[in-house]
Amino acid sequence: MSAFVYVTYIRTTPQTLWQALTTPEFQRKFWFGMHQDCDFKQGSPWRLLFEDGRVADDGEVLESDPPRRLVLRWRNRLRPELTEEGDARCEITIDPEGDASKLTVRHSIARENSKLIEAVSGGWPKIFSSLKSLLETGAPMDAIYSRHSEKAS
Amino acid sequence: MSDLTGESTVYVIYIAAAPHKVWEALTASEFTTRYFFGRAVESDWKEGSPWLLRMPDGRIDVQGTVREAKRPHKLAVSWTVDWIEPKPPECFVTYEIEDAGGGVTRLTMTEEHPAPIPRAWLEGGRKGWPMILSGLKSLLETGKPLGLPTPMPPKEIKP
Repeated sequence: MSAFVYVTYIRTTPQTLWQALTTPEFQRKFWFGMHQDCDFKQGSPWRLLFEDGRVADDGEVLESDPPRRLVLRWRNRLRPELTEEGDARCEITIDPEGDASKLTVRHSIARENSKLIEAVSGGWPKIFSSLKSLLETGAPMDAIYSRHSEKAS
Repeated sequence: MSDLTGESTVYVIYIAAAPHKVWEALTASEFTTRYFFGRAVESDWKEGSPWLLRMPDGRIDVQGTVREAKRPHKLAVSWTVDWIEPKPPECFVTYEIEDAGGGVTRLTMTEEHPAPIPRAWLEGGRKGWPMILSGLKSLLETGKPLGLPTPMPPKEIKP
């Protein structure tokens, strides 16, 4: 098993955080310009898309309990060495805490030394840092978004 | 028997502030009292100097030595929790502060354990760091820290 866990605290409500995570207009602002094609209902297909329409990752909604918990089956479709690792599991949980919401992602796959988990370990801190800035200040972190896009393309 | 571990903890966060502002937020008590569960840092931040973290009631929480200070890019300290008896083994905490471009700074905190510690203590640290460093980011970006409750120590630790 390989797993990456990342936690951040954002001054917002679980409802607003859930909406930001699941709405394409918000996603484009904090997720390196990418957005998701999904209705976030259990059993529905899920896709993460680049601005130009290429599919980065796809899968299925395994669990959806707004605004508390979302579990995705997640398979990379961009890099062959990651695609061949098979399905990963991405669990996102939201818990109210003080005047903030605790946002946790746990991304795991049933194999040792996963390259996919190594790749997402670099991405999640950028995505959640940018989401936190967007919700708390109104401005995402475009600088890290443009650098990531250069690397991904 | 308590499970012992020598695992490290690494936490990365991106902050819309210059590296010297992040350095200041880590090393000045006017900042730390607002995001580090009310604790004040004290040190001259010279290599070899002592440093400490003081609780709001005046007791010492953590103390150690400044192992490396390369303002504003790297600060490494030894870290011993002062109020647990017997004293837990010393650990090393390192902050790396890098310019990520476009007014964004990447802060990486690494907590290393040269001597193994009970897993419950490691988990306690892993709960605390995201609260502390999320609060630091909010303070620098919005001027206001997060209002998070101070976590209680694990049951195994008797203050």
